[in-house]
Amino acid sequence: MSHISSLEYHVLLALAAAPLHGYAVKQRVEDESDGSLTPQPGSLYRVIARLMGSGLVAETDPKGPVPPHPGLSRRYYALTAAGRRTLAAEARRLKEAAALAEKRLRTARS
Amino acid sequence: MIRWLTLLLWLFPPAFRERFGAEITEQLREDWAAARTRRLAALPSVLSAALDLIGAAVAEHFRPSFRSTRRSAGGGIMRWLRDGWIQDLRHALRALRRTPGFTLVAVATLGLALGVNAGIFSIVDAVLLRPLPFPQPDRLVYIGGTAPGSDLPSEFDLPSEFFLQYRDQSKLLQGLAPYEDFTNTLRVGDRAERVRMAVSTASLFPTLGAAPVLGRVPVAEDEDRVAVLSHGLWMSWFGGDTAVIGRSYYIAGEQRTVVGVMGPDFRFPRDGVTLWITAVMRPEDIRPGQFGMALVGRLRPGVTMPDLERELGPLAQRLPERFGGSPAYAELIAKHRPVVRALEEQLVGRVAGPIWILFGSVAVVLLIACANVGNLFLVRAERRQRELAVRRAIGAGRLQLFRAQITEALLVALLAGALAMVLAWVSVPLYLRFVPPDVPRVGDVAVRWSTLVFTGVASALAALLCGALPAVRASEPSLDRLRDGSRGSTARRHWARDGLVVAQTALALVLLTGSALLFRSYQRMRHVDPGYSTRDIFTFQIAPEGEHLKDAPSYASFHLAFAERLARLPGVQSVGIVDHVPLNEGLADGRFLPAERAGETDGGVRLGFNSVAGDYFSTMGIRLLAGRAFTDADQRTELGHVIVNRSAANLLWPGQSPVGRRLKREEIPVWETVVGVVEDVMQDNFRDPAPPAVYYPLVGQPPADWIVSSPAYVVKTSRAETIAPEVRALVREVSPGAPMYRTYTMAALADESRLPLAFTMLTLGVISLLAVILGTVGQYGVLSYIVAERTREIGVRMALGAEARRVQGMVVGQGARVLLVGVAVGLAAAAASTRALRSLLFGVEALDPATFAAVAGGMVLVGLLAAYLPARRASRVDPIESLRGE
Repeated sequence: MSHISSLEYHVLLALAAAPLHGYAVKQRVEDESDGSLTPQPGSLYRVIARLMGSGLVAETDPKGPVPPHPGLSRRYYALTAAGRRTLAAEARRLKEAAALAEKRLRTARS
Repeated sequence: MIRWLTLLLWLFPPAFRERFGAEITEQLREDWAAARTRRLAALPSVLSAALDLIGAAVAEHFRPSFRSTRRSAGGGIMRWLRDGWIQDLRHALRALRRTPGFTLVAVATLGLALGVNAGIFSIVDAVLLRPLPFPQPDRLVYIGGTAPGSDLPSEFDLPSEFFLQYRDQSKLLQGLAPYEDFTNTLRVGDRAERVRMAVSTASLFPTLGAAPVLGRVPVAEDEDRVAVLSHGLWMSWFGGDTAVIGRSYYIAGEQRTVVGVMGPDFRFPRDGVTLWITAVMRPEDIRPGQFGMALVGRLRPGVTMPDLERELGPLAQRLPERFGGSPAYAELIAKHRPVVRALEEQLVGRVAGPIWILFGSVAVVLLIACANVGNLFLVRAERRQRELAVRRAIGAGRLQLFRAQITEALLVALLAGALAMVLAWVSVPLYLRFVPPDVPRVGDVAVRWSTLVFTGVASALAALLCGALPAVRASEPSLDRLRDGSRGSTARRHWARDGLVVAQTALALVLLTGSALLFRSYQRMRHVDPGYSTRDIFTFQIAPEGEHLKDAPSYASFHLAFAERLARLPGVQSVGIVDHVPLNEGLADGRFLPAERAGETDGGVRLGFNSVAGDYFSTMGIRLLAGRAFTDADQRTELGHVIVNRSAANLLWPGQSPVGRRLKREEIPVWETVVGVVEDVMQDNFRDPAPPAVYYPLVGQPPADWIVSSPAYVVKTSRAETIAPEVRALVREVSPGAPMYRTYTMAALADESRLPLAFTMLTLGVISLLAVILGTVGQYGVLSYIVAERTREIGVRMALGAEARRVQGMVVGQGARVLLVGVAVGLAAAAASTRALRSLLFGVEALDPATFAAVAGGMVLVGLLAAYLPARRASRVDPIESLRGE
């Protein structure tokens, strides 16, 4: 995966701690992006589908006690090893980009 | 709410929907639950979710993010409906994008044809198809009469006694009202104008089932003292002021009280009527046989028009026993037959013929365009034979290939339909400027939803028409094409292609013949001598009022004095006065008896009559054939002098000189003496023969009976176009407050009387030109393709020594054969169909041989030219190049 979008990055990020179901992914993305991303279901599940297609995310069985949701079909998604690597690489890229930006801003000021 | 949103899930590819549908639904539900607590914010969030779903679904089709491992279930049509079509669509889009030239020509051709169809349909829809804006309009009927074997017109409106008789005695009618529209004065404060109004009885409104938007409709007790305003008049004259109800105004010679205002949809009996006044009809006032009025009736539920005709016939026969009348009247009644027809037909039927003809013509243009585009598709399918053969060879089903072609046609038609809507939307308002203003409901014409629906259906039909044949051909590609890798250079008979060219040529020829016949009619009509001149004549009417105007002599002296003032205006050569100016108003008519037949009781000869004064005959260029024109003395005192026209003289005194002879009009006790004979004039238009007529002086008939209060003036001046303001100033000076109206030049009236023919001629002309262009382009395209296809063969022939001329002859010959068949078929079809134009034609037969020959010749010439261009290209084929190719 050569390039991942902001939404894809945040979905991967959301799943890094623990497997989540779709709606939890959405809520966590909203929180972690400071509300700059409010994924609508259509787009969100296309992103999940794409991540699954490229092997970064897989469907999984929920671990631990699952809160009961009678009548609802909740599927859980988890990061794969490849997903973890991609996330780490992307985080590194972002960090380097941020560092570069800070440095440039500093030199521009002085 | 969520249920509506989840419907959008069906837009997704089925695999995606099966896998994620439930989760998306759940998420939508949770979002909705959260959003609902914020009330106002809920709607935007639903909207953005919906937009996101649509966007995601479309994106998923074109850039799938999810691929199912298993094939989706189901098969055949159902599977195609679920997901196959999107694939076909994608293929079609790609195929069309690969051939932009083809796509452009096909879309433009179909779009143009669909556009003219959409435009004419919007007229058909508003004018002909929409029901009358009254409840249960199919129960509304017009009632008139006919009297075969009498000297009355073939159909006529009915005198008042018919109304009373039918109203009182018919059991099949639920309501009945007479109606007539006319122009008269409306005065509100200082503003006095002549406006279009209608008179009826109070029963008009319940018969039609019309309710006012303000006030009430008249009731019988109102008698003739009330008026109802149209919505337009209420807005323009009274600014929509509700206080108008209960006020009295001077309307048509009386003070009348406004009791109601109708809605904007209420137009009766035609557009432009601004108010309705009531009349009272009492049996004791009836003089049988006088003043016909049209009748509108409402049938009781379940009653048919023939039922009513059968009931009214005997009722009419009993009229003389109830109302009396002369023996001539009884004789007429014996011949009388009721005429009952749908009110809608009566009100709009007059224009239906030409409009349907135009609609039929644009449908023909669409057929030609379909043939054209169909041919393009055929040619394209031929070019893609190899590709199609490959697809077939690797397992594509015939249905699949057929579907792919049809989808391309549908896509082209869809784009063309969109283009057509734009064309119609832009052109219809422009076109409406040329529509004759007396076409009923023309103000309602607009491109609307119905136009969109029509265009959609027409586009789909067009797609099937031009796509089906090529699709069949494409679905059975010849696998031979794969064997030798050649494009094939043998000329196979392409019956489909040739058939389409024949159809195009024939259809274009039919339209061209129709418009040529109309053109010749128009030419003939322009050269008709109506018996008067229309050059340099300005005409207008004024309606003076005042204490001193009380009888025919006082009005006569007012008008004669005014005519003298007019004649002194600079540049005015002469001035005449006439009660009914030709081309603007019809004549009144009555029965006249020559003195030689004084004792007879048959009532005499039916003649028109008119009143004239001043230099009317010389101003209009109407020739005096014998005797003299009226003198000033004839106008001012009742000398009992009249002038007759040639036809009237022939009817009254065949073969004898009429000057000095006497005649009298039925119902008038005075004998008049003929002092002059003038040439006949065409009164109503340039089509109907000139009516026989008697001319009275202004003062002519017994003054109490017949007052010419608001005649027309005719002013001969080279400044006919520009003199109106000066005349208006003079009217204001001589008779302030007298409305001046019906101001025209005679030339403009002449143009207007030819307008229905001119309009149909021009429209059909443009349509047939379009047809010929499309047809010729189609023929050219096919021949060009054939030449391209036979390049190798032509190269071989030329390498073997064939001359360029022979090659040209070969190609032109191939085109000419198809062309001649098309012309022959077209001539036969034209002969069968120009009959539809008969009511519009003038001075030329529907099967006029000269027109047919000229059109066929022109068509052949244009066709040969279209064949020559590809032929020339063929003759320039370089043998070496053509053989090296491939």
